[in-house]
Amino acid sequence: MSENTVSAPDVSQTALRRPSSSGRRKARLIAWAFVAPAAIAYAAFVLVPLCMSVYYSFLRWDGIGKARFHGLTNYITVLTDSDLLQIIGNAFQLVIYFSLIPVALGLAVASAIRSHMAGRFGTMTRTVLFLPQVIPLVAAGIAWSWMFASSGLVNQTLKAIGLSDWARGWLGDFVWALPAVGMIGAWVQLGLCTMLLVTGITKIDPSLYEAARLDGARAWHEFRYITLPGLRQEIGVCITVTVIAALASFDIVYISTQGGPGITTTVPGLEIYRLAFAHRQVGLASALAIVLMLLVLISIAPVQWLTRDKK
Amino acid sequence: MAGLTLRSVIKNYGEVPVIKGVDLDIAHGEFVVFVGPSGCGKSTLLRMIAGLEDITGGEVKIGDRVVNDVEPRDRGVAMVFQSYALYPHMTVYDNVGFGLKLAGTPKDVRDKKIRDAAKVLQMEHLLDRRPAQLSGGQRQRVAIGRAIVRQPDVFLFDEPLSNLDAALRVDMRMELARLHHDLNATMIYVTHDQVEAMTLADKIVVLNGGVVQQVGSPLDLYNTPANLFVAGFIGSPRMNLISGSVAEVTPERLRIVSGPSSFWLEARGHGLAPGAEITLGIRPHALSVDPSGTLAGKVQLVEQLGNETVIRVLLAVGTEVTAVLAGQGVHAVGGPIALGFDAAAVHLFGADGNRIALSGD
Amino acid sequence: MKTATPNTLLARGLIILLMVVTLLPFLSMLSAALAPQGTYPNGLQWPEDPQWGNFIRAFEVAKMDQLLLSSVLIVLGVVPISVAIATMAGYGLAKLTSAKYKWVYLVFVFGLTLPFEAVITPLYYEVRALGLLNTRFAIILPLIGLYMPFGVYWMRAHFLNVPQDLTEAAQLDGATRWKEFLLVQVPLARPAIMSLSILLFLWTWNQFLLPVVLVQDPMQRTMAGALGAFQGQWGTDIPLLCAGSLLILAPTILLFLIFQRQFVAALMQGAVKG
Ligand SMILES: Nc1ncnc2c1ncn2[C@@H]1O[C@H](COP(=O)(O)OP(=O)(O)OP(=O)(O)O)[C@@H](O)[C@H]1O
Ligand SMILES: [Mg+2]
Repeated sequence: MSENTVSAPDVSQTALRRPSSSGRRKARLIAWAFVAPAAIAYAAFVLVPLCMSVYYSFLRWDGIGKARFHGLTNYITVLTDSDLLQIIGNAFQLVIYFSLIPVALGLAVASAIRSHMAGRFGTMTRTVLFLPQVIPLVAAGIAWSWMFASSGLVNQTLKAIGLSDWARGWLGDFVWALPAVGMIGAWVQLGLCTMLLVTGITKIDPSLYEAARLDGARAWHEFRYITLPGLRQEIGVCITVTVIAALASFDIVYISTQGGPGITTTVPGLEIYRLAFAHRQVGLASALAIVLMLLVLISIAPVQWLTRDKK
Repeated sequence: MAGLTLRSVIKNYGEVPVIKGVDLDIAHGEFVVFVGPSGCGKSTLLRMIAGLEDITGGEVKIGDRVVNDVEPRDRGVAMVFQSYALYPHMTVYDNVGFGLKLAGTPKDVRDKKIRDAAKVLQMEHLLDRRPAQLSGGQRQRVAIGRAIVRQPDVFLFDEPLSNLDAALRVDMRMELARLHHDLNATMIYVTHDQVEAMTLADKIVVLNGGVVQQVGSPLDLYNTPANLFVAGFIGSPRMNLISGSVAEVTPERLRIVSGPSSFWLEARGHGLAPGAEITLGIRPHALSVDPSGTLAGKVQLVEQLGNETVIRVLLAVGTEVTAVLAGQGVHAVGGPIALGFDAAAVHLFGADGNRIALSGD
Repeated sequence: MKTATPNTLLARGLIILLMVVTLLPFLSMLSAALAPQGTYPNGLQWPEDPQWGNFIRAFEVAKMDQLLLSSVLIVLGVVPISVAIATMAGYGLAKLTSAKYKWVYLVFVFGLTLPFEAVITPLYYEVRALGLLNTRFAIILPLIGLYMPFGVYWMRAHFLNVPQDLTEAAQLDGATRWKEFLLVQVPLARPAIMSLSILLFLWTWNQFLLPVVLVQDPMQRTMAGALGAFQGQWGTDIPLLCAGSLLILAPTILLFLIFQRQFVAALMQGAVKG
């Protein structure tokens, strides 16, 4: 087909008339005016403090007197001091409880239901399961401190079923305090994960299951080859949310154990608070804070990468 | 009261040129239709006029004012979108009156204008509804109402009817024609639909690849397409294009051969020499069954439409042509057939694709 | 659950089990809250003589009226402003900026996973320098900043889905950007704004770290912060502690029960997008 023209002049000879730069500048100014308030708030109370955290982390400073430059010493301490390593390890142990239990139970419920929870029962389920999400973590901590107390419901139940030997002051026990704290987190996250997974599974095309059954798939195969891949995104969301909650936990531990006994339940969040405001080691606290931030990022990145993009 | 002038208008997206220098004059009150294949830049050109796209080069004038750097709201244009773009949270009344409200029109004046527009569009009973409660045709009316209350100098339509079903499209088309007549406003209209273009336009602008191919009245384009592109684009079914060459030239006449076919055309002042490669254009309606016709071939397909019969014929040169024959003739598929035509209905295009005038003027 | 496969029973059983586990701590607290003052109650045992008066005592001891007021003031200081500026920025980043400025958005998104503990130390010194320590502003101002990553992310995601046509129609109708934002975009964004408000309300009401670090006086704190102080003071008086905790929980739970649908939707979407 001919590209010949009847009326078009030779383009190369036409002077390009740039749209006025003042118009563009105005559009840009308006855009910035919309973004600026949020950007200022964010910069003032997140970005600046974050930079200060990085700056402090290179200092030896008690928060009052003169600060001295300390190089990487604080970071080396964080990564070599056995107590601090144990504290970081505690956080990762909490991940097992905060993430694994809710996701596993949620998956079990979801694959058993595999349909909408409609009607009154559904509403009731949602309401109850979301309760732990709306109350403050502090309240969860208080409630469960009472559950785990020596005369609390947990021990009461154990005694009632003849396991009196097991009864103990759970939160004061060197071995059992951390798992107990973990159970509190699991209790909080359980409802959200379950509901997300149940909602997710209803979006999987039911005919996939029928086809699989015609192909002779067993329940396990259905779970492995249909449910799990179909729920990839939701599982990613659950893991992301719960891992952040575990690594950055503070409220629950502060209320239920204060980090004890010893440092068996101390987590980085609590240690940052202690170092900065009780022990007046602002530099070390800041280094731990930066490490915590990086740990969260490093833990989340693969989850996001694995569960989002491979579609 | 404003016409519109485009001078060497250019649009690049990054490095990619989309509009490659368009010149156009539109008089006040004209109904101009942009047609062209998908992606040729119709919407882009319209949106540049509206001010929704930057103008990379050239000049757009509305009336006597250069509007390159004028905000859309200050250009005195109104636009009807393909998707209608009604505000979902406002009633029809508020949708139509939104522009007036923004302009600070007093409430009573506004009310009168909204009701007048509603009356013109026969949608007074819809004023309290929201867009979600309207049918496609009703939404379209609201979108048009929103444009007319503002009494713009120029109306812009981007495929406004393409989301409607066929019957409604015909109704709305007639309504638009009436509206144009009543409002006496300049309208620019983008469409894919040839029938819309032919019936509505005072002037059609055929675009291809960001370049204007031809500007003219619907019949101009039909009768004297400026090049092969326009010839193929305007008219339905498409014009038959058959390649051939000039065999003999006399002062008064021209002999054309195409495979075994050969015939004479009245022609003066065309500058063709024997041996020149040309393309013949013959509209399907200009062909007829004629045992002594020059175009001989085999029937490939017969479509009986009742009032006419469409047949496809494979010519000896290997080109397929379509003929639209009056009445309900009987033709055997695979059988031989000869087609004739009136030499006056033949269009000639040179090797460069441009039209060759045969009458010397 | 329309079809009755054998699994439905199993599923129902599982769900009821989960619900029981979820509710037990609350019931256990309630039973303890009703035990006679000064006793050391058992885990879950309905007292013979329920002491409903414990709640009244807890109300007075915890100064619930002042606490409520304080929390409401903080929420009113944080949520409307956060939602407003996040909505503006979300619109700005979705509709007014080209791909060239994507980095601004990415900087905001970077804050999504930031633990508050990572900035709490410098925040303390910053707030002290501003002379706001021990005032409600010590909680309000930092929270506004800390909510921006989520707020901007949330609103931008909404505005990206609004057809560009509407913006253009508004422009042709003569709207300035600001008018278009106020009269067209914000009304359309109502559901997104609603969810964001609910989430920010919850997060503010339940915020604990900031009050603990930045505000000493429990009466200037959020509900959650005050609860921490309450536990510190009355931790050994189990009936009183439980009664107080339940009281402090009551407002949120009440709101949650009333707006159950909206809360659940907001929390689920919030998790998915966050
Ligand atoms: N924002 C953009 N960035 C880059 N290229 C674009 C952009 N918008 C349009 N284009 C290109 O510009 C060309 C013209 O687009 P335009 O929308 O004007 O076509 P059109 O003639 O209206 O087509 P249709 O009939 O399909 O609506 C197309 O090739 C398109 O790919
Ligand atoms: Mg288009």
